[in-house]
Amino acid sequence: MRRTMFTWSLIAAAASLAFAQNAPSAPPSDPKQAGAISPEQIQKEGKSAAERSALNMRTANDTALEAMTTAVASELRCPVCQGLSLQASPSELAQQMRGLVKDQLAEGKSPDEVKAYFVSKYGEWILLSPKPQGFNLLAYLLPVLLVVGGGAFIWVLVRKWSAPPVTESNPSSTDSAV
Amino acid sequence: MIGTLARDALLVSLAVIAFGLVIGPVAIARGKREWIPLSYAAIYTNFLLVTIATVSMVVALVTHDFSVAYVAQVGSRATPLLYTVISLWGALEGSILFWGWVLAMYAAAVVWINSKRPGNLVPYAGTALLGVMLFFAILLIGPANPFGVVSPVPADGPGPNPLLQNHILMAIHPPLLYLGYVGMAVPFAFAVGAMLSGEVERDDWIRITRRWTLASWAFLSAAIIAGMWWSYEVLGWGGYWAWDPVENASFIPWLTATAFLHSAMVQERRQMLRLWNLNLVVGTFVLTILGTFLTRSGIISSVHAFTTGTIGYFFLGFIAVVLISALVMVAGVSDRLKTVGHFDSPASRETVFLLNNLFLTAFCFTVLVGTLFPLVAEAFRGVKVSVGEPFFNKMTLPMMVALLFLMGVGPALPWKSASPDEVKHKLLPPVIGAVLFAAVGLLMGIRNVYGVLAFACTGYAVVANLREFYIGSAARRSAHGEGWFTALTRLIAGNRRRYGGYVSHIGVFFVALGIAASSSLRTEREATLEPGQSVVLAGRTARLKSVWGREEPQRSVIGVTLEIMNGDVVSGKVEPRMNFYPMSQQPVPTPDVKSYAAGDLYANLQAFQPQGKNATVKLIWEPLVPWIWFGGGIVVLGAIVGIWPNRRRSAA
Repeated sequence: MRRTMFTWSLIAAAASLAFAQNAPSAPPSDPKQAGAISPEQIQKEGKSAAERSALNMRTANDTALEAMTTAVASELRCPVCQGLSLQASPSELAQQMRGLVKDQLAEGKSPDEVKAYFVSKYGEWILLSPKPQGFNLLAYLLPVLLVVGGGAFIWVLVRKWSAPPVTESNPSSTDSAV
Repeated sequence: MIGTLARDALLVSLAVIAFGLVIGPVAIARGKREWIPLSYAAIYTNFLLVTIATVSMVVALVTHDFSVAYVAQVGSRATPLLYTVISLWGALEGSILFWGWVLAMYAAAVVWINSKRPGNLVPYAGTALLGVMLFFAILLIGPANPFGVVSPVPADGPGPNPLLQNHILMAIHPPLLYLGYVGMAVPFAFAVGAMLSGEVERDDWIRITRRWTLASWAFLSAAIIAGMWWSYEVLGWGGYWAWDPVENASFIPWLTATAFLHSAMVQERRQMLRLWNLNLVVGTFVLTILGTFLTRSGIISSVHAFTTGTIGYFFLGFIAVVLISALVMVAGVSDRLKTVGHFDSPASRETVFLLNNLFLTAFCFTVLVGTLFPLVAEAFRGVKVSVGEPFFNKMTLPMMVALLFLMGVGPALPWKSASPDEVKHKLLPPVIGAVLFAAVGLLMGIRNVYGVLAFACTGYAVVANLREFYIGSAARRSAHGEGWFTALTRLIAGNRRRYGGYVSHIGVFFVALGIAASSSLRTEREATLEPGQSVVLAGRTARLKSVWGREEPQRSVIGVTLEIMNGDVVSGKVEPRMNFYPMSQQPVPTPDVKSYAAGDLYANLQAFQPQGKNATVKLIWEPLVPWIWFGGGIVVLGAIVGIWPNRRRSAA
């Protein structure tokens, strides 16, 4: 009997949590994020649940909006998860933030404006791929440079190695490194 | 008590390692071959001592000896026996101990198996392994000492991290990972041995090194797949790969090891790429240590990061020592490794291997850059940035597709030279496979470019690889009059390395199709259901039967039973749960999966009402995901075929 009560009190506790967050989550400890929005704020700034569901009904057929939401939510980071996007994360905060993305898109904001809004709240950290500008370009260009440079190197090497030797007694000595 | 024994064993092992490190090189320098067994004895003794320490830890965990610091940290009387045993690798100190034990075992195995080999390669390799061992022994006595004394002795402990005691794969994934990761020290040791003994100028050492690399690679491949599976089965988001820093850390050396397995063949066949192969072997080992540093120092936050303390500095120091000494050694031998490069034709398997190495290296580099970039950006710009899935997908998908394509081209092209006719004859037929698979992908509903390309390239490579089995078996049939089955098995047995490689390729194709389909076509639905209500997803109906709760010794469980309906008939069920552990405020989601050949029905319990009035469940249809696990098994099978000792068969 006591066990059952314990179990159901747990149920009640969990129900009040409403939803299991994607463990193992640590709250963002970065002081820069101190100004980050809380779930309550999101609900205030966003639509109430009823309003939102009404909005959802109206746009139920609007697959374009849904696709755009998915695209934007995939680019934004769930603040309480380990590197998951708003789209992938099952945590409640991420779901609410995804709702906010959808609302803003429905209001006619462009994807870039929505992302800019989240950057203004959380900093660049919220973007799952760093903006390809300035210093961040390094992350994008270095791998490309390696492929292009390495490809050119292999091209030269293979041509050289495949050239018919002038005479057998005079092999051209080349480094074996790729 | 038992803690003291273990501490003493580790202290003695430090002395034994030091002795072995001195006696080996001295024996070689003085030409005293008869002293070399002393160095091997040190390796065996060290294995024995570290085994004593590791077994002691397991005993301490099982007997709930909370006077041992590590047990007090991760143990709990309520934890089931299995999870108590495997909490050996559930936190920092225990994992370092386990790591050291695996390394000691590898060192003992290397000298045991190769002790009869003439020359100084093996003695030097043993010394190099002892050098690595020394580092871990120091860690175990210093910053990662698991046998600290707790006083007063607590009555009970908190138990392991809930996430690590929630699924049986936690008993499988970490040991495989250590076997793979630590195993990369062996090829490194052989490389050091080859450089110091001068054998590096002959190409014999590469054969033995490739074999050990293949063994570690098989473990690492299995570990990565098992880790994906764990993430899928435990974390509740329905995905298997998030480009988490630790996932990346396991994947980065896998890529260079894969590159080496291919380029080593060029060295064996054509005596080329010697310097490059040396670099790949050293690089792979350094990347495993770097990965350990990233994940164990707490410098990057991740599921696996056990923070903390000074251990990060030890790792940085060790990386510096390894890098500098390896660079000096490689620079010392590089002059002697210059070989005459000669290709008979650009249209040859050699060229494909060069491209394979280019893309694997670039892939590795990209993942490394992406993983380290947040640190670099914070250091240089003072701004926190994230590098996640969109970045990695954008950057690596083209490389993955290119590699899949090359997996079809390489086996089709012969070594040395292919005539234009041969090129046409070999490379054109697989195009049928490409067209067929692309059509299947499109029919399934895949519309994104990389998804369709992945299907097409996989189709191309599937035909090319299967064709090799077909051509070889057909030749045996006509030459020996064997049946298809006999011809195929004898074909594989006759050249295990080659056909084992093709088997692994086929495993990769399953994985590729699984990833391409599941990332393109995943559909999901969230619904709040009362008992008796149902929801339809991807043509399957799931009906909520009940919401239930039960008590287990170490946790409380709330779950729902969903029946999968086939018309009016119940064809199966899924039971997603939430597990509540006393030490964790958040419940641990425990999804349940029903697998079909075409995909998984993945169910996660999102929320429920008190008294079980209703429950919110998320159902995800995950196309072809079971193919990933199946393909992983085939990859490992291929590696086993390749490693299997070659008994000399009398030539028929």
